[in-house]
Amino acid sequence: MFTTGSKLFLGATAVSTIGAIVWAASTGGAAGVMGTVGLTSVALVFALLTGLNFLTRDGNVAGNTPDPDRTTAAGQPAVGNSMWPLVAGVGAAGIVIGTVSRPVVFKVAVVVLLAALVEWLVQGFSERASGDPAYNDGIRKRLLHPLEFPILGAFIAAAVIYGFSRVMLSASKDAGKIIFIFLGALVLFAGFVIAARRGMAKGTALGIGVIGGVALLSVGVVSAIDGQRTITPHPELTAAVCLGKGSAEQEAELDKNTSEKVAAKSSVAANVVLTSNNRLVAFINGIPNVEYHELTVGRSTETRVLFRNETGVDQRLTARLGTFTQKDGTKGNEEAVCTVRIRKGGEAFLTFKVAKPQAASSTPYQLMIPGLDGRVVQLLVP
Amino acid sequence: MDRSEATVSTLGDMPKSRRRWPLAAVALGLVLAGCAKNAPQDTFDPAGPNARDINNLAMPVFIIAGVVGVIVLGVVVYCVWRFRDRGQDIPEQSHGNPKLEIALTILPAIILAGISVPTVVTVFKLDKKSDTQCVINVTGQQWWWEYDYTTGNCGKAKISAPIVTSGELVIPANTPVLLRITSRDVIHSYWIPRLNGKRDAVPGRLHTLRMQADQPGLYTGQCTEFCGLSHARMRMAAVALNDADFQSWVDNQLEAYTPPKAGTLAATGEATFTAQCSKCHQVNGLKNADGSPVLSSPDLYVVSGVAPNLTNLMTRTAIAGWTFDILSEQCRLKLWNAKPADFGKLYLQGVWMDTPAGATKPVCFDEATLRSWLRNAPAKKPMYSDPTKLASTGGKYRGMPNLHLTDNQIDELIAYLLERK
Repeated sequence: MFTTGSKLFLGATAVSTIGAIVWAASTGGAAGVMGTVGLTSVALVFALLTGLNFLTRDGNVAGNTPDPDRTTAAGQPAVGNSMWPLVAGVGAAGIVIGTVSRPVVFKVAVVVLLAALVEWLVQGFSERASGDPAYNDGIRKRLLHPLEFPILGAFIAAAVIYGFSRVMLSASKDAGKIIFIFLGALVLFAGFVIAARRGMAKGTALGIGVIGGVALLSVGVVSAIDGQRTITPHPELTAAVCLGKGSAEQEAELDKNTSEKVAAKSSVAANVVLTSNNRLVAFINGIPNVEYHELTVGRSTETRVLFRNETGVDQRLTARLGTFTQKDGTKGNEEAVCTVRIRKGGEAFLTFKVAKPQAASSTPYQLMIPGLDGRVVQLLVP
Repeated sequence: MDRSEATVSTLGDMPKSRRRWPLAAVALGLVLAGCAKNAPQDTFDPAGPNARDINNLAMPVFIIAGVVGVIVLGVVVYCVWRFRDRGQDIPEQSHGNPKLEIALTILPAIILAGISVPTVVTVFKLDKKSDTQCVINVTGQQWWWEYDYTTGNCGKAKISAPIVTSGELVIPANTPVLLRITSRDVIHSYWIPRLNGKRDAVPGRLHTLRMQADQPGLYTGQCTEFCGLSHARMRMAAVALNDADFQSWVDNQLEAYTPPKAGTLAATGEATFTAQCSKCHQVNGLKNADGSPVLSSPDLYVVSGVAPNLTNLMTRTAIAGWTFDILSEQCRLKLWNAKPADFGKLYLQGVWMDTPAGATKPVCFDEATLRSWLRNAPAKKPMYSDPTKLASTGGKYRGMPNLHLTDNQIDELIAYLLERK
C-alpha cells in the first residue's frame, strides 16, 4: 500500500486539485485563470512526487539494514497500480462541482466516491493480507467480484437497453419492425457463430461483443440527439364515442386492434350478453340461468361487467352514467364509458363507478348498445 | 444492596418453586377464557348449514391435531426428562432407525390424506352458489358495512326497488343468500362466525359468500382484516327473520318518506339534517323547499365516497359501524335472548319496542348514546377526522368529523331521526 511519504504527497495532490477546481469555479477573469493554472501545476507536481515516492518506497533504507532487499519496505514487491485514489479524487471533485452546479452531478459524484472508497479499502486490505501477491489478488476478487460483476452487467444491460430504445423511438414504426428483425437476426447469428466455433478465441468473442455494444450505444446516442419520431395520440373512448356520436375515423381506429378475449373472469358483477337475436341480458355470477334486466350497483364502488357479443355485427357495450347539474347551475354533458367494438364471440370488460344515486341524474343509468334502441339493462343505484 | 435483600419484583427474580404458580395461573386463565357462557361469535356454535359444514370439518381435524399434539409433546417431555444431562457420558451416536423414520413419514401422510378428503368436499360445498335465492351487495369501508339489496326475489319476498342499509344484514331465515363482497377503500374481511367463514373485501374485486341461518335471530360478527384506526370497532350483525317478517321489513324499507309534521321539533330537525347531515348522509325521499330531492355528496367529503344511508335508521339496533347500541341494554338483552318465534316481532319494532300506543318517546331508545355520538363522533370512535390533518386525502375524511352541533340542534336531530323508522 502507500508509503508514509506518498500518502503525504497524495493528500497534497488532492487538496491542490480540489483547490484548483474550487478556484476555477468561483473566481473569474485573469486571476481565475492564473490561480487555476498555478494550483493545477502544484497538483501535477505533487502527483509526480506521489508517484516517485510510491515507486521508490520512500527510498527509506538505512545503510546498516540487514538484507535490505528482502526486509525493508522499499524492498517489498511493488503493489499493483491503483486507479481508485484517482477515481476517489474525481468523485470528491464532482461533489464540490455538484454542490454549485446541478444536483445530478452531486449525486453521481457521491456514488463514484463511495464506490472508489470501497474499492480502495478492499484493495488496501487485500494487499496487506499476506506476502503472496497472487493470494492477495484472490482475496480481492473474492470480496469484490460479487459486487463488481452484477453492477458491470447492469451497466452493460442499461447501455444496450438505452441504445436500443433510442433507436426504436427514433425510427418510424415501419422501419422499427425491420430494425428489430435485423438486429434480432444479427444477435442470433452472432450467438450461433460463437456457439458453433468452440475454438474461437476468447478475445475474438469479446471483441465482437464490444464492437456490437459500442455500435449500438453510438447509434442510440445519435438517435437520442436526433429526437423521437412524432407519435400521434390515439383517439380515446370518450362519452361521445360511447353514445354513438363520435366520428367514423375515431371509432374505426379505436376498434381496429381490439383484444376480444378476456382471461380474468373473476370479480365480475355480471355477464352481459348481446344474444344472437339482439337481446341484451345480464347474468349474475353465481345465479345461473336467470336473466336480469336490471342490476343494483352500489354508490362509489367499482363495478365490472363482462360483455359478450353473440351477434354477427361488431358491437360495443356502453354504460350511461348520468347527466348532472354543474356547480354553476348549468346542465352538464351525459357521462358514459364503453368497451371497444367487439366481434362475434368476443368478450370485453367494462368497469364503471357511479358516485350519485339515480335521482341525481336527469338521464337514466343503464347498459346499452349504441344504435340498438331498447336493448338496455337498467342500472339501479340506491 | 445485597441481592438477598432485594425485593422480588419480577418473575425472573422468583425462586423456581414459586415461579410456576403465576405461569400456571396465566395458563388456567387462557383455558377458562374459552368457557365464556355468552359468546355470540362462537364459531363452534354454528347456526346455519355453512357454518355447520365448517364445524363438522374443524372438530374432527381439531381432535386429530390435538391427539397428535399431545403425543408429540408427551414424547418430547419424556425425552427431555428421561435423558436430561446428569453428568453421564454421551451415548452412542447412530444414524437413526430407518424403519421408525419411514413409519413416522407414512403415518402423517395417511392422516393428512384422510383429512384432505372431507376438506376438499367441504370447500366445494361452501363454494356452491347455484341454490342461492337472494343477492345482496356487501361493501366495506372504514369502518362500517353497507348492504345493497338487489331488486327481484329474495327468498319468498319480493324487492321492487333497491334497498340500502348498513350495520345489520337482514336476511330471510332458512334461505341461502348470496353475498357479493367488496370494499371501497382498504381490505376488510366479513365474518359472521355462526353463519359462515370469513371472506375478504378487497377494493376492485368481488368475492362471493353463501349465508344461511337456520332460524330467526341475531348473529354478530367482526371485521377480521386490520383496516386502520377503528378496525376493532367495525362490527356487524346478520339478522334472520322468518319469511313474513322479512317481507314486512322489506315493505317498511321501501315505504315512501313521511315528512315530520310542521311546527314540531322533528320538522326543525329535518331542516337541520338537510343543512348539516345530508352533505354525506342520504335519506331517501327527503326534499328541498323547492321540491327537488336532497341528494348527498359523500364523494366530496369522505375517502370511501359514501356514508351510511339513514332512511330507516331506527329500524337498526346499533349505529356507527354497529358499534354503539341505540337499544337500551334491557331491550337489547330482551331481543338477543328472544325465542326464534318471537324475535321478528321484537326486531321490527326497533327502538319502539314495548312502547305504549300514543307515546311520543320510545321506551327502548338509548338516547344518551346517540346524543354523545352527535355531539362528538370522533371522541367515541377514533377516526381520521381532524380537519388540519387531511392533506394526504385531499381534504377528505375517513369517518365522521365533529360537527360542533349545539344542544338544540342535537335535540332537533334526535327528534327527526326517531321518525326514520
